[in-house]
Amino acid sequence: MTFKRISIACSFATFGLYGILVLSLFYFFRGDTLLETLLSERTLFSVRLSVVAATISTLISILIALPSAFALSRYDFPGKTAVDTILELPMIVSPAALGAMLLIFFNNPLGLWIQDHGAQFVFTFYGIVLAQFVTICGVSTRLIKAAMDEIPVRYEAVARTLGASPGKAFLTITLPLSRRGILAAAVLSWAKALGEFGATITIAGSMAMKTETLPIAIFMRLSSAEIEGTVVLILVLVSIGLSILYVVRFLSRGASYA
Amino acid sequence: MLEVTGLSARAGSFVLDDASLTVLPSSCHVILGPTGSGKTLLLESVIGLRKPEGGKIILDGQDITDLQIERRGLSYVPQDLALFPHMTVRENILYPVRIRGSKHDAENGIVRELVDSLGIGHLLDRSVRNLSGGERQRTALARAVASGCNYLILDEPLSALHESLKKELWYLLKDLQRRYDLALLMVTHDLEEAFFLGDTVTVILEGRVRQQGEKADVYEHPASVDVAKFLGIRNLFNVRTERTADGFLWGYCDDLRATFRLLRPELKLARNETSSFVVGIRPEDVAILDPETSEPCGTNIIEGTVRNTYENGSFLTLIASSNTSSTFVEAVLPRTMAKKLGVSRGSSVLLRLPEESFFLIDSNSPQTSSTARLP
Repeated sequence: MTFKRISIACSFATFGLYGILVLSLFYFFRGDTLLETLLSERTLFSVRLSVVAATISTLISILIALPSAFALSRYDFPGKTAVDTILELPMIVSPAALGAMLLIFFNNPLGLWIQDHGAQFVFTFYGIVLAQFVTICGVSTRLIKAAMDEIPVRYEAVARTLGASPGKAFLTITLPLSRRGILAAAVLSWAKALGEFGATITIAGSMAMKTETLPIAIFMRLSSAEIEGTVVLILVLVSIGLSILYVVRFLSRGASYA
Repeated sequence: MLEVTGLSARAGSFVLDDASLTVLPSSCHVILGPTGSGKTLLLESVIGLRKPEGGKIILDGQDITDLQIERRGLSYVPQDLALFPHMTVRENILYPVRIRGSKHDAENGIVRELVDSLGIGHLLDRSVRNLSGGERQRTALARAVASGCNYLILDEPLSALHESLKKELWYLLKDLQRRYDLALLMVTHDLEEAFFLGDTVTVILEGRVRQQGEKADVYEHPASVDVAKFLGIRNLFNVRTERTADGFLWGYCDDLRATFRLLRPELKLARNETSSFVVGIRPEDVAILDPETSEPCGTNIIEGTVRNTYENGSFLTLIASSNTSSTFVEAVLPRTMAKKLGVSRGSSVLLRLPEESFFLIDSNSPQTSSTARLP
């Protein structure tokens, strides 16, 4: 067997692994359960809660990631390596550990003060948003930085010699040129936030009709052996995920500026 | 007037040291040097893209050394032009106008005048991604001029173009300079481009300014051996000079085993009358004489044998060595004349090195060991 055939066979094997996992869901698929589960108040609450929380956490994350990514992409400053490295934290620390870190933080004097004088995060909607934000902020920054790295600095330099201030050069040159990358980062972050489970359940708990996001709903139904309902919720999550990946692929089709 | 004084800058381990130059209003100053000599580093320091380690940049009497890029009043065209790819030609040209908040009337006036002079009116609504090389250059120049700056900084903007288009743009750049009363500071490694476009020239080698002045002066009198070599002159010979009683300065070249009369008696030489120099002569200044009508033992005439010939369009470059040494002399002559004189590989020739065409380089200048050997 040639090397080419072996490598193609490996790629199909990977596809087959995930394909079998998705297809196996249909063994427990029941048509009547589909509508019943989808239209149930609890499912609709979970979907709504997940979508709203993921949207808010993504917006906050992108707002913070944009200037941070620009700074990391364009400037040299003391501590840049440390900042750049810490962005990987959500990728190397398990989500449950991230959630536990949040929980521990809110039991420290500063965290307690925030909870007393600001918003309550533990076992609340804000906790869900915070858990998702902590999970995706590093990823959003990393993805947007990668998009900005693709844009030659010369464009901004020329814009500035033509009279643009650094802020105007960012708004008129860097931002429009990296818009596809930023959109792709937002969509991927949103999808990651939507599927976030470990950190969310650790800080927000798993209270039905209160902090029950879609992944937590899947966990709770599985815990109570409602396999058919679990399958429907998994299919909803998989459908959203695949649609998102398609959108990201579409957005990533762009010209190189180098 | 743009004055750069004692500018030093660093890029990694490369150091640009003590560079000074002056760009007069409405003139073109060319920074000439090979790749990696520090030309772009100098330019980027002037624009403000790099912070210099020392020196001053004065524009029309104002110290702009520490001024922000957008407040310097210098418009920049980089080597790759950096046309904004998400904009049309019109949007690119109007960028500097709009960024300063000008009104539509001003926009229309500027666009009309510029596109007329650059011949790009039909391209205005095209994306810059779909332009040819020449169209891209014209758009970049239009955008730079639209900024209203009187000083344009050009970093090898024509280097990617083929010869005919490049020459067309030389004329265009000259016209643009006259029409808009622009001062240009331009970087290039192309000798022909430098001496066509430049009024004054700075030669920069290995991070140091080696020579600067009027272009004719730099062209005719390279100040050092390495400048002469960079300018493409291979006829460089070590000579011992002596002034005779009649006032003439003579140079004895050991390598060619020949004696040349170098300077007319009325010209004064600052150094001692018996000194060591390097003399150089451009290959196009070396005359090939007809052996049938010329005396082989005249002043500044040497007998040689053609070792190799190279055709170059309508010219022929020949490499000849003196019959008494292996040192070679390079000459360029029209092919028709070469044919008439029967010049070919192996043939004997009489080479005349006219005294008025020699330039002298002080032996104390850098890298004076110069004599070329037969390749």
